Amino acid sequence: MDFQFGDKEEALRKEIREFVKQELPPGWVRNALAEESRDEDWAFTLSISKKLSEKGWLTMAWPKEYGGMGASLWEHLVFREEAGYWGIPGVTMGVGGVDWVGPSLILYGSEEQKKTHLPLIASGEQDGVWCTGYSEPNAGSDFANIGTKAIRDGDGYVVNGQKIWTSAAHRSRWIWLAAVTAPQEPKKHKRISILIVDMKSPGITINPIINYAGYHFFNEVFFDDVKVPAENLVGEENRGWYQLMSSLAHERGSIAPGSCGYNKRMLDELVHYVKETGLINNPRIRHKLADRAIEIEALKVLVYQTIWKMSKGQVPFYEPARDKVFNDYIFERLSMTGMEILGLYSQMDPQSEDEKWKKLKGSFEAMYWLFPGMSIAGGTDEIQKNIIAMFGLELPKS
Amino acid sequence: MDFDFSEDQEMIRSSMKSMLDKEYPPEKVREMEEDPKGYDPGLWKQMAELGWLGLSLPEEYGGAGADVLDLMIVIEEMGRKLLSGPFFSTMVLCSLPLVRFGSPEQKKEYLTSIANGEQIWTLAYSEPSATHDLSGVQLRAHLQDETYRLSGTKIFVPYAHVADYLLVVARTDEGDESGITLFIVDGKDSGLSTEIIPTAAHDKQCEVTFDEVSVPKNMVLGEVGKGQDIVKFIFQQGAALKSAEMLGGVEAMLEMTNAYAKERVQFDRPIGSFQAIQHKMADLLIEIEGLRYMVHETCWAISNDSASDFLISATKTKANEVYQRTGIECMRIHGAVGFTKELDLGLYHLRSKASEHTMGDSQFHREIIARELEQYEAPIFGLR
Repeated sequence: MDFQFGDKEEALRKEIREFVKQELPPGWVRNALAEESRDEDWAFTLSISKKLSEKGWLTMAWPKEYGGMGASLWEHLVFREEAGYWGIPGVTMGVGGVDWVGPSLILYGSEEQKKTHLPLIASGEQDGVWCTGYSEPNAGSDFANIGTKAIRDGDGYVVNGQKIWTSAAHRSRWIWLAAVTAPQEPKKHKRISILIVDMKSPGITINPIINYAGYHFFNEVFFDDVKVPAENLVGEENRGWYQLMSSLAHERGSIAPGSCGYNKRMLDELVHYVKETGLINNPRIRHKLADRAIEIEALKVLVYQTIWKMSKGQVPFYEPARDKVFNDYIFERLSMTGMEILGLYSQMDPQSEDEKWKKLKGSFEAMYWLFPGMSIAGGTDEIQKNIIAMFGLELPKS
Repeated sequence: MDFDFSEDQEMIRSSMKSMLDKEYPPEKVREMEEDPKGYDPGLWKQMAELGWLGLSLPEEYGGAGADVLDLMIVIEEMGRKLLSGPFFSTMVLCSLPLVRFGSPEQKKEYLTSIANGEQIWTLAYSEPSATHDLSGVQLRAHLQDETYRLSGTKIFVPYAHVADYLLVVARTDEGDESGITLFIVDGKDSGLSTEIIPTAAHDKQCEVTFDEVSVPKNMVLGEVGKGQDIVKFIFQQGAALKSAEMLGGVEAMLEMTNAYAKERVQFDRPIGSFQAIQHKMADLLIEIEGLRYMVHETCWAISNDSASDFLISATKTKANEVYQRTGIECMRIHGAVGFTKELDLGLYHLRSKASEHTMGDSQFHREIIARELEQYEAPIFGLR
């Protein structure tokens, strides 16, 4: 048993903090999901991706031969944790570029695909930005129910259909598309394939979906006779579902460490604020902050345990679901505590430019208005609890 | 970073587990509730022979020199089986501070006897003020002719009715945090009277009245008036290890509820197949696993002299919350049968309050955390 990081991880942590000092504006806070919404934020995001690429950190977890550093899971955890704490933007290359497109291509991609796409993602350039095309109007939690079709025609596929809730589609050069390639197959899991589709292809239309708080990260993406070369099929035709399930293992350890860092930062900001305002003397506030600190510590050990399991070569079947549900719980509680502390000032529009009114840069307002959405993204909490029931508790199928 | 136990640690766990499986079935827990002593002297003797009572004592006193992490493992198993008796009070609340703060004479005098199973010890801390902080300690010790005389009342003292010695936290001077001294008091002193408090768990917590109890100077543990450091030490080790005991308890509750959810059929299906039940249990699993790794982290940190006040208090608060929530939800999942005396679940749930109030309740620990947060220099402010 050992609950310390090694020298390598500690050295990396230091180096990241140096990077933050040099590259981010003083007092920089990155608000939840704010990267893709506005043009100026997106431009800054990409400029940092480029710098992370130069450091080698952007794709540090990938093997060296594919433009990574072959970093250990623990080094990667430290990087993501620090990125979450300091709000380093641009660590993912859209939605999934670093965390599942790359690793899936390494597992299932052709030599040509690897040669084209891995360096693009690792470069931190606009052409390495991806979005993920899974959800559809009739395929949310029931993902296998997708209806977008990719029908083989000569030396390619013709794609028709619609994706929805496609985060960052408007910023992406590529879409990691799940489509039905065998419509006649009765088993839904056996008719899905993964295709790489250029977002500049003729026939693609992107409609923005502005969320209720005024942010733009969701989109609808329509495919109208979009031609996709056959060599853009990833892995085997009609094995898409199974490929997704096993590449999930790579995605699993990537997201939660960032949240650990982010939550910790938000708590630190809040403690600083209550000390400045004198609210620290209110016993109710003191105890709420104590509870938030306990929850953040609990998430930390859960996330570390997931990574530890992966580091031993085991597949964490339910642990990432566990960590996500608990993190969503923290987002909710932490933002509610923050809003309570901000009091009257909690009414500000987090996207407003007017610094006169916004406290803590609007970060708690952003978190508060967005947490219900974040608990749905990447699989709802209800779906996650089903996974915990099945694999963690081995309860009978519902 | 490594969450694994060593082979030796796994062996400690499996031998404690197999002893308790054999010697301490749930019927025994019920029997001990009715038993006037509240523990099984035969089992106590056996535990001494097997070395459990000397586990964390130095080798020179017949102990095994194990660290807090090893102790955590055996206490987790005891919590799982609801081992009642003076193990916790003797080993954790008294022998750990004796090892750390005792004079060479005191260690020689007492530690070997503890390891041999000849002496039962307990800590007398709480008073009718019913607070967990030192301001509530009002039991006075006056020095008269080179002898201290103790007068006052201690409440919720575990197993005081069978204790050979009490470690008594007393006030030798005014003040809230200061003026505290710890005394080793002979349990058979004629000035002591002990009465068992009728607790829900029938777990033999006592009211102990001190009427001019004489204690010679050499029975002071540590320095006169400097007892607050010893109390803090006891609270830290005690809170961490009580959390370990509670962890064992919640794991047992979830296991028995899981088994029941798989076997109980309603609407032609096991109730564990219903999402309403599954999601409740998933929530419990998340809380319990969080507690498990916090307990492990904290005890590891104590063993490595790197435990912060925050970590210890966070773990105990989490244990308090999770234990209570698990008892309630597991009872609900069982339905009416969960509410019966026949079912073991109630035994666990009835012990929630005793554990919660041992070594600080949640309010007490939240205040410690708040103070830590107040003083903490966050990394972000170094850059501003």
